[in-house]
Amino acid sequence: MSQVVDTREQITAAGYACIARFGPTRTSVEDVAQAAGVSRATMYRYFPGGRSELIDAVVTWEYRRFFLALYEALRGAETLEEVMERGLMVAHRAIEDHEVLQMILTTEPEILEPALSAEGQPTRELVAEFLTPYLERHDLRPGVEVAAAADFLARMVLSYMGSPGRWDLDDPTQVAQLVEVELLSGIVPAAAAGR
Amino acid sequence: MGSALRVDSSTIVPLRTEAAPEVTKRVAIVDGALACIAAKGLRATTVDDVARASGMSRATLYRTIPGGRDAIIQATAETEVARFFSALAVAMGAATTLEAALVSGITTSARWISDSAALTTLLEVEPWVIMRHISFGQMDRALTLAVDFSGPFFGRWLEPEQAARAADWAVRIVTSYLVSPSEAIDLTDVDQVRQLVRQFVLPGVEALQERGSA
Repeated sequence: MSQVVDTREQITAAGYACIARFGPTRTSVEDVAQAAGVSRATMYRYFPGGRSELIDAVVTWEYRRFFLALYEALRGAETLEEVMERGLMVAHRAIEDHEVLQMILTTEPEILEPALSAEGQPTRELVAEFLTPYLERHDLRPGVEVAAAADFLARMVLSYMGSPGRWDLDDPTQVAQLVEVELLSGIVPAAAAGR
Repeated sequence: MGSALRVDSSTIVPLRTEAAPEVTKRVAIVDGALACIAAKGLRATTVDDVARASGMSRATLYRTIPGGRDAIIQATAETEVARFFSALAVAMGAATTLEAALVSGITTSARWISDSAALTTLLEVEPWVIMRHISFGQMDRALTLAVDFSGPFFGRWLEPEQAARAADWAVRIVTSYLVSPSEAIDLTDVDQVRQLVRQFVLPGVEALQERGSA
């Protein structure tokens, strides 16, 4: 069982390395098999759908790794304000600095679509779940339900981190204003806003 | 209709007799293309399909919208965006409070999206056609467009910078629920959206106003 997982993971990691080096368009099944040190036959045993299945797997794999790294980076955060502010800044920087993602966005963004569609909802639920204990520990305005607030905040965090629009998410003052004045005003009492 | 409104029909001069048929043809082509996209998606839609659906020959079609398939798709997208914004302008223009403007902006957008057969098909079979416009840097462009449009409506109650932020926020709500629908909230339902806006959005906008005036 673990052998199967390892080989699949090994091929996926090699696929990521090839895409990072050659770009998605010029990555072939042969390149990946060679980089992973497996035969073409083995490759097709794990990815019967060939190149497109492999690329989907690579995108999904990296997508999950991205959120796992984000999760690790935020583990020490103590308050709802801190976790939202740090989360937005770290995630935004990680997206901007992600060379492979940026290359794909300029060359072949459509390969992201299967992962974005399939992972979108689970990711939102994961972010909401991550925020839940912070909401539970915080004073909330009367009538605010933790689950609804967590879902709303997760949607907004995911929207802002990829597309900051009018905000400079590298500027802690602006991020604090976005989080404490705009996003949290309806959720935490005015006295608690601003910490 | 009082007698004062009666007009002698012989005095009526028909307007724009040459331009009107071209406009009508263009609309027929766009609506034909929308019907095709609704039936089988964008990739599978050919110029012949659009000609058949709009009831005209390929030659007329090429004469009305020169540039082939890409130009037809472009014209269709532009017309739909214009129709969307005019529906939004009517709804938001009728609002008499900031809350009503936010609620009608969000619900009108959501209803327009769910009522569009072409969009519904695209989201099902070729979601990337839509999603690529609302992901990463492309979303920033969509936000700018939407903010430029809806900012002035919110500007009746807010300073320009606050109006832009409120508009930006409303657009993010619509796109988030479009990409990832919720079982808890139906954005086409006025009462549910009013609750969402009251609870999560208005307090933030009000806090911004207080800061701005402080």
